[in-house]
Amino acid sequence: MATTRILEGLGRLYIWLLLAFLYLPIIIMALMSFNVSPFYQLPFEWTTEWYAALWQNDQLIAATWNSIEIAVITTLICTVLGSAASLALYRYDFRGKKFLQALLFPPIAIPWLITGTAMLIFFFGVGIGRGLFAILLGHVALALPYVIVVVSARLQTFAPELEEAARSLGANQWQVTSRVTLPWIMPGVIAGGLFAFAVSFDQFVVSYFLSTPGQTTLPVEIYAAIRKGFTPEINAVSTIIIVVSMALMLLTARFFKFGGEK
Amino acid sequence: MRIPRLTILLTATAVFTSALTLAASAAEVHVLNWKGYGADEPWAIAAFEKATGNKVVNDFFNSEQEMLTKLRTNPGLYDVVMINAAFNDQAMAEKLIQPIDVSKLSNYADISPDKAGSPMLDHDGKVYGVPWVWGLTALAINEKSFDKPPPSIAVMWDAAHKGRVVIRDDAVEAVQFGAIATGQNINDIKDMEAVKAKLTSLMPQIKTFWSSENDWNQMVASNQIDIGTYWSGSADRAKTHFKLPVSLVIPQEGAVAWLDAFSIPVGSKNVEGAEAFINYMIDPTFYVEWVTKVGAPVSANTKAVAALPEDAFNRKVMGDPEVAKRIQFQAPITDAQREAYLALWQQLKVDVK
Amino acid sequence: MAAQGATATRSGLRSALPLLAPAYLWLTVAIFLPLSAMVFFSFMTELSLSGKPWAFTLGNYAAFFSQSLYLTLLLASLRLGLEVTLWCIVIGYPAAYVLAKVLKGRSREAIFLLVILPFWSNGLVRIFSWAMVLREGGILDTALNAVLPFKINIDLMYSYPAVIIGLVHSYVPYMVLTCYLTLQAIDDSLIEAGRSLGATRLQVLKRIIIPLSMPGLVAGAALIFVPVVGSFMEPRILGGRTGTFYGTVIEDQFVAVFNWPLGAALSFILLAVVLVILAVASPVLRRAA
Repeated sequence: MATTRILEGLGRLYIWLLLAFLYLPIIIMALMSFNVSPFYQLPFEWTTEWYAALWQNDQLIAATWNSIEIAVITTLICTVLGSAASLALYRYDFRGKKFLQALLFPPIAIPWLITGTAMLIFFFGVGIGRGLFAILLGHVALALPYVIVVVSARLQTFAPELEEAARSLGANQWQVTSRVTLPWIMPGVIAGGLFAFAVSFDQFVVSYFLSTPGQTTLPVEIYAAIRKGFTPEINAVSTIIIVVSMALMLLTARFFKFGGEK
Repeated sequence: MRIPRLTILLTATAVFTSALTLAASAAEVHVLNWKGYGADEPWAIAAFEKATGNKVVNDFFNSEQEMLTKLRTNPGLYDVVMINAAFNDQAMAEKLIQPIDVSKLSNYADISPDKAGSPMLDHDGKVYGVPWVWGLTALAINEKSFDKPPPSIAVMWDAAHKGRVVIRDDAVEAVQFGAIATGQNINDIKDMEAVKAKLTSLMPQIKTFWSSENDWNQMVASNQIDIGTYWSGSADRAKTHFKLPVSLVIPQEGAVAWLDAFSIPVGSKNVEGAEAFINYMIDPTFYVEWVTKVGAPVSANTKAVAALPEDAFNRKVMGDPEVAKRIQFQAPITDAQREAYLALWQQLKVDVK
Repeated sequence: MAAQGATATRSGLRSALPLLAPAYLWLTVAIFLPLSAMVFFSFMTELSLSGKPWAFTLGNYAAFFSQSLYLTLLLASLRLGLEVTLWCIVIGYPAAYVLAKVLKGRSREAIFLLVILPFWSNGLVRIFSWAMVLREGGILDTALNAVLPFKINIDLMYSYPAVIIGLVHSYVPYMVLTCYLTLQAIDDSLIEAGRSLGATRLQVLKRIIIPLSMPGLVAGAALIFVPVVGSFMEPRILGGRTGTFYGTVIEDQFVAVFNWPLGAALSFILLAVVLVILAVASPVLRRAA
């Protein structure tokens, strides 16, 4: 028993070390949003001028809202469509299934630069054009494969006998899915949603090609700013986003069990 | 702040329509330019809008190729586009830009004759580009690493600065830099092997390849580099605006000069507004304010440069006749040349990996 | 990822279609059709967009084999992808295990979300922050010299390790997430049963835990390996002189010289290589489990 406790203690310590690694750049990003120098110059001099400047920067704020909207809608659409597709791929056997599964990788493997250019040309050709709708169309397509791969991984741990048992007890297909299968894969669906959000929210290449003046997203603004006018306003807005999402997530975690206890 | 338009977005049809009616309306001037390059300064836009009643809508590109792609895939969207003179010819040949009636531009007469008469911008007696600003790709030093500015380009190869030299990640610029270092004409490189050998021996000196002004400034702010290729306007801005220890060096071997000009795309729905905007961009009032508030390259308008204080960098250093003798303006490059330069540059980068 | 569903039938397609169609239709319109256009471009001598005459050619694919440059860079990129994936497994898998099996109660959800959160931050801003940590006179250098009795010079910036650190940081949450999903699904009683039958911890790990969590490990590895092989942004900013990879030359063709046909051909070669590697690797991994 003693060994178990020591191992568990080490495990906890390890998680905290990992968190330190993951948050190191985030903390620096936040610190630099309070530093006078726009070039991350030390020594550190405290200021809140970048937050004040951000407040005046309508373009950056508008782009941030666009990013949040698109990421939220992408997440919703992707989790629904992606989970449905994963279920179908798990449950049914048919010719060409392997091919459909392999098709999930081109969107991930082909550098986004090429996908973005391809979308620009194609959307231009068929009259969809550029703008927020085109960006949404692209983001959902980019995030869908991630959701399907993640939900499928979770489905692999699912015992089909459970569905069988429910069916033999008289449940119809819909009841089986909603009462047995969905609750089991829910952690996968949520994880897929987190992926989709991240893919969309940090997506810059495809958004870059599909944005128009006034209809842009935060990463596009950041990339454009780096060329000439990078300011820690970008750090400021990123810091606000991280702090707010952290608060939201921790609040969610208080009321919601991720994956359940056994 | 505004209300999130979740509902609007979800109504796909509505957005579909808006995407299709993106084309410019009459009272708007759609401008395509680099970001943070004069035309999108909020104070300038406000002054122009107040004076003319036109509304300015800015869009940006990150490379010349991207600018051309945006013109090709958005016919009729833009009214003004900023094109490097070396690309003007290609844009005209593809029928992306139209001739400009310079009699409508009151400031055009003040443009220095060698720029206004540039064969890169005038084709068949018609003006396809209005010269705006010019600058140099020269060297810049970290003042902390040098007691006095080095006179020669050879300092880039000096073992004392090994690992503290930077150069831009751009094939054309790198090859032309090599041409200058080997005493050749940048627009007519005869001995490519010499350029290759010269650059090969430079590679081990290099710390990294920069790609933006921000890269350069960050590296010098944290004292990671001694010297590197840099743009004249950016070096001036780093020094005067950001108070970084940077100064521009125009080596005795010379430097690469470039000229930026404004054009009007074919299909512009507001040619009048476009002319007014271009005229405003070459106006001395705008230029002086741009230099003072932000830092800028050298105006092609002689009156605008003359309006600067006498000791201003753009007047004193860049206006020096001695400098004019040493610099070489970039001429257009064919696609084949560009691809050859890229192949050379990629090979150099792989060899040093 | 073949399903072993007991309900598998031959006439499955008809039942599967309503569930599959929305996702795949979307993918078709927004990705597969545009990419087909790119496939078409990759066989052209010139891009007709600029009004020049063009013809069909295999030359763009032949170009890959005509210069050693492309192969060298492709191998470098594959190595980078492999190393980053391995580091992500080494770092991410134990973390996923602790999250799934050691931590209990509310703290688990909270910590889990904390692990995911950093990858909601902007990639470019993250890379800039790493530059600040890794450079000479940066945070790592200063911190280590403050603690250590002797003077050392830490300048990891603009080096291969910097690229690895930046990429592992960006991608390790993928591994934690996918492994957690399959580890959390393993019934604790199975592990206890193994232990009570006299199996050592190592045996339980090897015989029960790793095989059962394999789908997550494979999915995570694929989701990391595939995009890393094509990456160019992180290598360029963090790698300095060593930051040239296969993604860089593809980017150059698109951005610097407007040779889309060659750029497209190079990326489809990349895609083919990646798909072959995935096809070979996943059954091997599964059998090894």
